[in-house]
Amino acid sequence: MSSNSALERTISKVLSQKEAELISKIDSAYQESLNNLEASRGKLEAERTRIVESARKQGENLKRQIVGSGRLAARNQELLIIESAVNNAFEEARKKLAASGGKDSYRELSSSIIEESVLSVGSDEVVIECNKNDSGLIRKILSDLQEKNPKVQAKVSDRSIDVLGGIKIKSADGTMTYDNTLDSRIERLKPLIRKNIAQMLRGEA
Amino acid sequence: MVAKGRIVWVSGPAVKADGMSTAKMYETVEVGDSKLIGEVIRLTGDVAFIQVYESTSGLKPGEPVVGTGQPLSVLLGPGIIGKIYDGIQRPLDEIASKSGAFIGRGVITTPVDMKKKYKFKPTVKKGDQVGPGSILGIVEETPLVTHSIIVPPNHPGGKLADIAGEGDYDIEHIIATTEKGGDKLPLKMYHKWPVRKPRPYAERYDPTVPLVTGQRVIDTYFPIAKGGTGAIPGGFGTGKTVTLHQIAKWADSKVVVYIGCGERGNEMTVVLVEFPHLIDPRSNRPLMERTVLVANTSNMPVAAREASIYTGVTIAEYYRDMGYDVVLVADSTSRWAEALREMSGRLEEMPAEEGYPSYLASRLAEFYERAGRVRALGSPDRAGSVTLVGAVSPSGADFTEPVTTHTIRFIKTFWALDTRLAYSRHYPSINWMQSYSGYLEDVSKWWKENVTGEWYDLRAESYQLLQREDKLKEIVRLLGPEALPDEEKLVLEVARMIKIGILQQNSFDKVDTYCSPQKQVKLVRLMVKFYKEAQKALKAGTPLADIRAMPMIPSLLKAKFEIPEEQLNKLDDLDKQIDSQLRKAAGSAVMTEEAKVVA
Amino acid sequence: MPETAGIEYTKVAEIKGPLMIIDGITKASFDELVEIETADGERRLGKVLEVGFGKAVVQVFEGTTGLTITGTKAKFLGKTMEMPVSQELLGRVFDGLGRPNDGLPDPIADKFLDVNGEPMNPERREYPTSFIQTGVSVIDGMLTLVRGQKLPIFSGSGMPHNILAAQIARQASVVGTKEDFAVVFGAIGVQYSEAQYFKRSLEESGALRRSVLFLNLADDPAIERIITPRVALTVAEYLAFDLGMHVLAILTDMTNYAEALREISAAREEVPGRKGYPGYLYTDLANNYERAGRIKGKNGSVTQVPILSMPADDITHPIPDLTGYITEGQIVLGRDLFRMGVYPPVNVLMSLSRLMKDGVGEGKTRSDHMEVGNQMYDAYSRAQEVRALAEIVGKAGLTGVDLKYLEVGDMFEQHFLKQAPDENRTLDETLGRAWEVLSTLPEGELTKIRDKHVKQYYKGK
Repeated sequence: MSSNSALERTISKVLSQKEAELISKIDSAYQESLNNLEASRGKLEAERTRIVESARKQGENLKRQIVGSGRLAARNQELLIIESAVNNAFEEARKKLAASGGKDSYRELSSSIIEESVLSVGSDEVVIECNKNDSGLIRKILSDLQEKNPKVQAKVSDRSIDVLGGIKIKSADGTMTYDNTLDSRIERLKPLIRKNIAQMLRGEA
Repeated sequence: MVAKGRIVWVSGPAVKADGMSTAKMYETVEVGDSKLIGEVIRLTGDVAFIQVYESTSGLKPGEPVVGTGQPLSVLLGPGIIGKIYDGIQRPLDEIASKSGAFIGRGVITTPVDMKKKYKFKPTVKKGDQVGPGSILGIVEETPLVTHSIIVPPNHPGGKLADIAGEGDYDIEHIIATTEKGGDKLPLKMYHKWPVRKPRPYAERYDPTVPLVTGQRVIDTYFPIAKGGTGAIPGGFGTGKTVTLHQIAKWADSKVVVYIGCGERGNEMTVVLVEFPHLIDPRSNRPLMERTVLVANTSNMPVAAREASIYTGVTIAEYYRDMGYDVVLVADSTSRWAEALREMSGRLEEMPAEEGYPSYLASRLAEFYERAGRVRALGSPDRAGSVTLVGAVSPSGADFTEPVTTHTIRFIKTFWALDTRLAYSRHYPSINWMQSYSGYLEDVSKWWKENVTGEWYDLRAESYQLLQREDKLKEIVRLLGPEALPDEEKLVLEVARMIKIGILQQNSFDKVDTYCSPQKQVKLVRLMVKFYKEAQKALKAGTPLADIRAMPMIPSLLKAKFEIPEEQLNKLDDLDKQIDSQLRKAAGSAVMTEEAKVVA
Repeated sequence: MPETAGIEYTKVAEIKGPLMIIDGITKASFDELVEIETADGERRLGKVLEVGFGKAVVQVFEGTTGLTITGTKAKFLGKTMEMPVSQELLGRVFDGLGRPNDGLPDPIADKFLDVNGEPMNPERREYPTSFIQTGVSVIDGMLTLVRGQKLPIFSGSGMPHNILAAQIARQASVVGTKEDFAVVFGAIGVQYSEAQYFKRSLEESGALRRSVLFLNLADDPAIERIITPRVALTVAEYLAFDLGMHVLAILTDMTNYAEALREISAAREEVPGRKGYPGYLYTDLANNYERAGRIKGKNGSVTQVPILSMPADDITHPIPDLTGYITEGQIVLGRDLFRMGVYPPVNVLMSLSRLMKDGVGEGKTRSDHMEVGNQMYDAYSRAQEVRALAEIVGKAGLTGVDLKYLEVGDMFEQHFLKQAPDENRTLDETLGRAWEVLSTLPEGELTKIRDKHVKQYYKGK
């Protein structure tokens, strides 16, 4: 009995010791986990802010990107619309010009074009090309010009070219060409005309 | 009969024109319909080869070329100081007022305001005999520069038939008339002089007075004399321009001509912005009142870059002839040489090294030969000087390239800028082992008479420490610093202090930017004294670590910017601190030694 | 705008390299623009390099491949090369000659400007002094960029110059202002992916609609590269000085530009300068780089960041060498730092911003800024010396202060220099980090800083 009780005592002592140990272990583990929790809460918090911050940044970037791209796309659409309006206007102008063949103003224009062209190329022998309808008119203007200035050595080519009006001058050997057709004149003026049309469309002019 | 021809060929700044049989070499001509300015640089039959000083974009064969009968010249008279010119003396402010913020072409200007009235005071009287170079009278050009009106050097001289009384005149006004052999010649307040022809003088003197620049490494270690020549070569980022700006700011000369030849636009702008506000330490007036700028930046036409050097040096000689010390700074002669190379290439001349023309050396020699201290022509007797300082921009910081090697032959002071020093932010990055001055002996007398007799020896002693350090560094590089005995470690330490406390100078610090000769000597003396006392302390047994830890060392190193010119006596306190701290250390070390002996 | 038509010539005398020589010329001017039509009807552009004695030497931008002696037509347009400019250019993409590359029509021009520009009159320049905060510590702290400055990046193959340039373009701002800004980007012979990276970066920051892009890619004609920086800078000048914007112009890679120049020079059989580059390389580069700055009485500015790759990482090669002589400093990227994984791998000791001194200090940034910058240079330079020494004698052979410098070197690289490509640091943060680096040293080592600043900011013992 006594030995039993001694045993029991020992057991209970060991037990209680273990218990204390365990409790203290649990305690410290608890404390540790509390600490850990605290620490990870801090970490979590930081991580959370970091994620939120980066998401916010991304969101802002995305917003900037979308807004920016959207505005750009709208602007580009506007450019395309203006361009098609400009092209229509040009088509109209071409048609009108093509129909202006017999008018006095066209004769005057042709005369000045020829004079300017012959002078630009120099006084060497040259050949003039024009469209079928104009060849009579051009021959007439040329002979008037030769009367005024006998040094001009030019003849009108039998070959006609497909243009709205105006002329092309070539040197006799064909190595030099001066393009003064209405088509090329329009082409040269195009940037200026486009600016005017665009201003009108935008209500700036 | 002026030449009238037609353009037959155009390629960049080079133009050929025929019908030019009456043109003269180096005659200026008007090129094309927009009357660009050009200069004839070769004649073959009736074809003239012309370098054009403006952009030739759009120029075409067939356009006219008209001679002016005159070589490229500058107008010399009051109104030049304070101006900024392009390479052919067109005022940039006037060009701007005509063509806006960007430089247009064919702009016609006059170099100075022909309408401005100056108060003329005659210094001679009717009936006096005057010769070429004689002074007729003076006008106040700026509060800093009194401008002498000079009889042109190519004038025959004679008796004064007439001279204007004191009064206000514009510079076109005839202020005097000379008479010689029945010929009467009118004189105005200005004359023209061809830029490629050096202005004559009566006699050359030896340069013996230093140009004080307020830069320690220059004035104390590698001085230049008034009337001398110097070159400053360095790779990019080594601080050439900053050093030249420092010389232009602080040199004790009467007039400064600054040539920006093929360099950055903003570098000229900074001069224009800063100089009117910077006050000359000697006269207390804005520096702009003594400065002339010639700016042909890197993006301006290359031919005018070639001319800019001559334009500048002719203006400098003109002020020299008034009896003034003039310093001319040219940044950079390499760009000028490149302009020569470019034109030479277009002329299809046989190239020498790296494509430079074979006459590069002789052109450089001619330029530097225009420096000197001289007695001017005419009366009264007066001496003036032109000091020439040229920057060199060697490609790849390689000092063996042609422009550097040729320049070295014609100059006496050589400030070698070192890329490695610049990388470690040691500014000015003048390498003390590679640089030299041929004027050391010549100027030592001036230091003795004006500052102190010690200068020469202090310089030598401190320089010797730098030389020793240079040798010791080799050993350190191989074996580490611990391989050296303490005495030699001390040399390294003091050399470091000299480098930081004296050689390095911060141009952008209000105090450090200018250092008077007096302060320079005091600082060097402190360093030398520190070395000597530390040596003694070391011998007496003071550990080197204790010497290195002396609290006065940082103060000594910062004295250059912490102690302004008006408080130089504070430097004497530092002197006392050397005594008290080092001697005390030496004393206590001796005592412990004694204690050991006793024990 | 041409008032008269150009004359067209067909007598081609010679075609060599990028050049075409035309005979029988009666009217042509130096620098004139030439429109070339090949036998197959393809159109190319060129300009006159030399004219006289009935001949014109024409440089063909798109190259001469496929051109024939007979059947090729060359029309002389009576004007120099021009770029149409207007506000509408913003948000557009062009090729290396300034022609639309984004499927949209030609821009409607407010005016036409000669792409060569004119030299800015130094008397009318406004000296640049406004600090640009880039958010990159090493630049803000030690290599400060100033509005109107030209500050190139010297790089080498494979190094992250484009990432750095894009970061600058995204983050650059002048603190305390909300002014109109724009980015002009000129790609000169770079790979598609590099140009694309840049474009995407602008897109993501929403800055694309404030940008104008000129793209000459690696497989585009080489001679076109002569024009790319010129059209880009023409637009930059227009946006800055006509419309009052603050323009950041980024040109990459200028080495390809210089190579195109060399090709033309060789074809003309000119006497070469160094390494086969023409003697006028300096002047030619300057004509591009000098197109930066501010003008008195005008609002805008052109800040230029050209990028160039140094052949074989050699800074003495003519292209970086001549560039360094023209620009207002340089940012040099270092191979060693790059290998160590440090971004941005800026070799500060070889780098420099010449205008920093005018953009920082009391009233602009902070009164200690310049001194701190100088001291950082000094400290890092000493650290490098000590590192070299330590390699020979070992750490054991170093004394106390030297060991401190070793520490400073590491801290400088890891704590100050290194940062993320999307990290935008304020100036106070940058300077704070600098002081933390410097505070590793004993106080007596700070010889470049005034005592009062040491007292205020030094954190060491």
